Amino acid sequence: TKLIYQYARTAPPFPLVSSTLTGLGLFIFPVATNNCRRLYASISTSPSSIAMSIPLHTSWRQLAGDPIHRYPRSWIYNESVASETGYSIDPPTPTTPVLITTAGVMVMIYSDSHMPHDQGYLRFFAYLGLPNAFMLGSVPSPNPMQIHVFRESVGMCPYPSIGPRFTRARAAHACQKASITNRVGDFGSLLGVSGFPRATGSFEFESSSVRLEELLTDRGVSLFPATPCATPLFLGSVAKPAQFPLHVRSPDAMEGPTPIPALIHAATMVAAGIYPVARMFPPSEAPPSMMSSISWVGGLTALLGATIAPAQRDLKRVLAYSTMSQPGYMVLAPGVASYRAAIFHLITHAHSKAPSSSGSGSVIHSVEPVTGYCPDRSQNTAFMGGLRTCMPITGTAFLSGTPPPRGIPPFARFRSKDEIPNDGWLSRPILGWMAWCTAGPTGSHMLRTYLPTFEGYYRANAFGPPRPPASVWEDRRYRASGRGAGFAAGLLPTGCSDTTAAKLPVDRSGGTRSGDSRRGWGSTVTHYSAVEHYKPLLCPKESDDAMLFPLVVPTIPTFPVGSIGVQSPIGLGTGFIDPQPDCWLDLLLNYPRGIIQQDWSELLPDATTSVATALSGILVASILHGRRPILQPPRIDPELEGISGYFPSYLYDWSYYRGYVDRYYNIVPVASVRILAKKAPTPDDWVIDGIVNGVGISGTFGGEALRYAGGGRISHHSPGPILGTPIPLTIVTTGYEHDWSIR
Amino acid sequence: MTSNYPWPTIIVPLPVPAGLLIPPLPPPKGGNKIVRRYTLGIRSPEFPPITHTLCYHFESKSPFVQSREDYDWINIPPDFHWRLGIDGLTMGLIPPTGFVTTSATPAARPVTRSPRSFYPSMLAMHSGQVGSFASQDILPPFLVWEPELIPAHSLLRSWGGKRRSYAATKSIPYTAAGGPISLLSGAITMGLYMPGEPALDFRVPADRSHPAALEMVSYLSFPIAYAIKPPILPSHARSPDTHGEAHYSTRMLPAGASSKMGGYGPLRINMESSPSAHSIFAPGLAVVGAIQIVCAASISPNQRSVKRRIAHPPVSHTGFVPIGIGPITEIGPEGAILQMISHGLIGAALSPIGGAGCDRMQTPFLGRMGGIAIPMPKIFILFSSLPIASLALPGMSGSAAESMVSPGIAGSTNRSYDSKIIVLVTAAIGIILTPIHPLSMPRQMPYGYSGVTPAVPRVMDYGPREIFIPIRPLLPVIGIGLYPNAVLSLCQSGIYPISISPEQ
Repeated sequence: TKLIYQYARTAPPFPLVSSTLTGLGLFIFPVATNNCRRLYASISTSPSSIAMSIPLHTSWRQLAGDPIHRYPRSWIYNESVASETGYSIDPPTPTTPVLITTAGVMVMIYSDSHMPHDQGYLRFFAYLGLPNAFMLGSVPSPNPMQIHVFRESVGMCPYPSIGPRFTRARAAHACQKASITNRVGDFGSLLGVSGFPRATGSFEFESSSVRLEELLTDRGVSLFPATPCATPLFLGSVAKPAQFPLHVRSPDAMEGPTPIPALIHAATMVAAGIYPVARMFPPSEAPPSMMSSISWVGGLTALLGATIAPAQRDLKRVLAYSTMSQPGYMVLAPGVASYRAAIFHLITHAHSKAPSSSGSGSVIHSVEPVTGYCPDRSQNTAFMGGLRTCMPITGTAFLSGTPPPRGIPPFARFRSKDEIPNDGWLSRPILGWMAWCTAGPTGSHMLRTYLPTFEGYYRANAFGPPRPPASVWEDRRYRASGRGAGFAAGLLPTGCSDTTAAKLPVDRSGGTRSGDSRRGWGSTVTHYSAVEHYKPLLCPKESDDAMLFPLVVPTIPTFPVGSIGVQSPIGLGTGFIDPQPDCWLDLLLNYPRGIIQQDWSELLPDATTSVATALSGILVASILHGRRPILQPPRIDPELEGISGYFPSYLYDWSYYRGYVDRYYNIVPVASVRILAKKAPTPDDWVIDGIVNGVGISGTFGGEALRYAGGGRISHHSPGPILGTPIPLTIVTTGYEHDWSIR
Repeated sequence: MTSNYPWPTIIVPLPVPAGLLIPPLPPPKGGNKIVRRYTLGIRSPEFPPITHTLCYHFESKSPFVQSREDYDWINIPPDFHWRLGIDGLTMGLIPPTGFVTTSATPAARPVTRSPRSFYPSMLAMHSGQVGSFASQDILPPFLVWEPELIPAHSLLRSWGGKRRSYAATKSIPYTAAGGPISLLSGAITMGLYMPGEPALDFRVPADRSHPAALEMVSYLSFPIAYAIKPPILPSHARSPDTHGEAHYSTRMLPAGASSKMGGYGPLRINMESSPSAHSIFAPGLAVVGAIQIVCAASISPNQRSVKRRIAHPPVSHTGFVPIGIGPITEIGPEGAILQMISHGLIGAALSPIGGAGCDRMQTPFLGRMGGIAIPMPKIFILFSSLPIASLALPGMSGSAAESMVSPGIAGSTNRSYDSKIIVLVTAAIGIILTPIHPLSMPRQMPYGYSGVTPAVPRVMDYGPREIFIPIRPLLPVIGIGLYPNAVLSLCQSGIYPISISPEQ
């Protein structure tokens, strides 16, 4: 028992070691490493699985009521500020690592079959371990400093991991954007971390919260040092799960390979943001003004995500925006003092998001050989449809992933989703309404994506031949699959790709369509029969098992977790965990106000609101997208043709342009930094360098002048004696005459 | 082995006579091979005495100066002595200096033009840098430091880019602006204004009391003298020119060592010998540092040349040194020392990859590069990992230093709440701005579709030497970042008397 706690410290190095191994192998023996890439991939997966088993075990022990364990070590030794690293394991701690490691392992298995064609396959594996390792270090940390350090590291992880797609210019921009946006959060969190011990007198969580409580009770309103220190600390939690002012990186990060959103954006980054909030500010001790700002940020994000998602056609971007609004709830929840709901939501979020994000990855992976490797086509829902017949397992898993975000009772999510608006109504009514209003649309996004993607018939053939790929490597892969050769051949169904290459030009009925998509769109009508004719040939194939396994497995726990605390008729209820009285999960279950009931009969009436909201969302989604497949050209210009009739055009514009946030960001911070970079050297160049260069030039001029004066010619020298002799003489003599001489 | 050997005096001037042996050698036939190996041969045995001193003659717990040597230099009353010694402050700085300069020698391999004058200059520069760290008196740094500028100038003047002549000449006015005059005036006012016997020893003036005005004058004269070396605010304009033009092996020396010297000066002289003036001026110094961070970080993204871009992060890094010196806490100066060490190592790692990268591309301009990740994967890996070290990724030494400096500011007692907030917020804005250029550099260089491919005749990836040179400083960077105590335990004893003194 004690042994496992001592070995808990070995959990973070496991993924790190595997990453380092792969990275070194790539660096030193690139050819050999690339040859045994699958071996390296399995090498990186296995330590993560070991790392997964440790938090699983500790979490189980903690739930069973083990005491709190602490293992501090000194990191920066100093008498005034004792900064200790280490880890402390108390009941809330190990659940988040369980989430992170399971998600990590699933994603590794998944990306093994999702990316074997990629040139950056191994590099990608090397980076995959990093966020896991950093989060495993961050979660059990006993002080804000360690959380900050590890969180900053997690913030840098998107940069290399979007990087594998770096030959695509948009991905290169996206990874820089992601890192700098995260850095804005680190800015605040560094300020907070350096100020926090000053305000509270201690680095440790326990003593600082005790001290904060004293401050609150003693001084009442005057929280001057604590509030300014704690508010920037929260900024870090805004950046990591992509909350409102800093949410812009999340959709752009979708440029990366699909496993990245699944891992980093659904599990790791969200956990990195939410967990410290719930950890650092226990309910009674947080400054109220800060809590309200937290909840407002969360509410706004949820609203923004819910309103922006409808107009997005990119499969992954819809995912990004609907993912964004879920952390919105989680951030909102601590603000309205429902901490347990926040953490609960965090854990269920990652698991119920898995089928959608990996499902969309699976779809894209299968669709790519048919539609081409340009993300504008392969990720566009307008090009899909009817995929359920081609890819039944993915389709079913995706469908099963759609109810949980809506919070329909048997699934885990409905508890927290119900609880948060309820708490919101109690403390801040506007926020409660906000949360309640966004609940419906948020839930419907995934279904809205499901319907055009998996139902109807496959439309990609109606849109002309594949466009040129957007990056070098995809170009290679495209050519390779076209020839039916290369490393992609084993994975891609050869017949499919061959027909793609061979038949598509024929299929276009002699269409020599250039890049002009609009003209091509006009002529698609003639292709319908051709599409129907060639449909069986051009249909994408189901992904292989390694990709389906992580798609299906994470959904399974969401069912029983949803029924914890309910004495279900079958007897599956609380029995499998026997919670101790002071246990965190138990607190969640026996929630004081009784939102979570002990019986189905009591449960159902309370669940009705959420179910009604969710159902309305489903209804709207199926009305809008259920019947008619969207036969829009790939890029609609909403200024010319909005989807009038469904939405008012301004609402559509708002949604299409992502709430105009990016546009203003381009104007204000980005342009201002550019101008600053242009103008900042000016004082250096003109003032400081000017003085120095001036000294140099004046030296030259002075020398020239002296040389000219001292040239040795009598005509230059003669003015001296001629003028020099009489004038002083006159002065002296006149002075003598007038008796001005020195007395 | 007894401690009777005057180790500091052996360590410090040794490279100069050894280097002077090189020019009389016959002109080398097969390139610079012989000279290069000879230089490496001088430097590598130089490293063991440093390590030996560290191991056997240095007790990290003791706050006193150890291995102290005191020779009469001019035997007349004004106390001109050659005092060298080693204490905690010194010990944190000398080994990294030796480390960096040793790896600068293999970096200088591409220099084949007149190697017989290049390598002696490098050796002389090394000697001057170590000498000014080891001195315990106001005189020896003046004696070894100012001559060190001569090889520095000649290195820059003769080997480098197209505008090297301008850069070398430019460094002269900057150096002269703060060089010998202010140092000497400060020293003389400090040392001579004594009721009894004049003293130039660092520790002696600290124990005496001075008129406040005199102390302030001499306090202010020192930063002027030292501001050149780490580019502190007004004189940072020199740095991009110097670093943009010099050969990358030459750059490793100033990046790795001289900048440390500049941070060391204020720590050693200002804090130690005029503590009361320090408590007055330190907040202002911290503000200067904070402005410098933001300033350099915002200038850098606009630079088109890779070399000039790489020259700016050191300016931002050194901004943390005055900030760390500012507070009269222990953790602040410790963070400053850590920052100096880490900055030197990172600078020494960045400049060879930047320089060698430019050599491979045959252009320093970022706009002409792009898409080199596929033909040159090793350059790509180095270019994407090392700049991330320079933006203080946690786990690297820069982050450890920054996370010590900031609590040091927040916890300092000698400043108002407002000034603390100003400094902290400005420095933290710098944290947002600093990653822009290290991140946009890989975006423009290895990433992308290689829109404009440089006319590189033969695409060649880095060789083992070019990989080894930047990796070598990177390892201690990671080591210090993971466990800063390893270095801090050495330095702490040196900082303790400094940070305690104002309370006396």
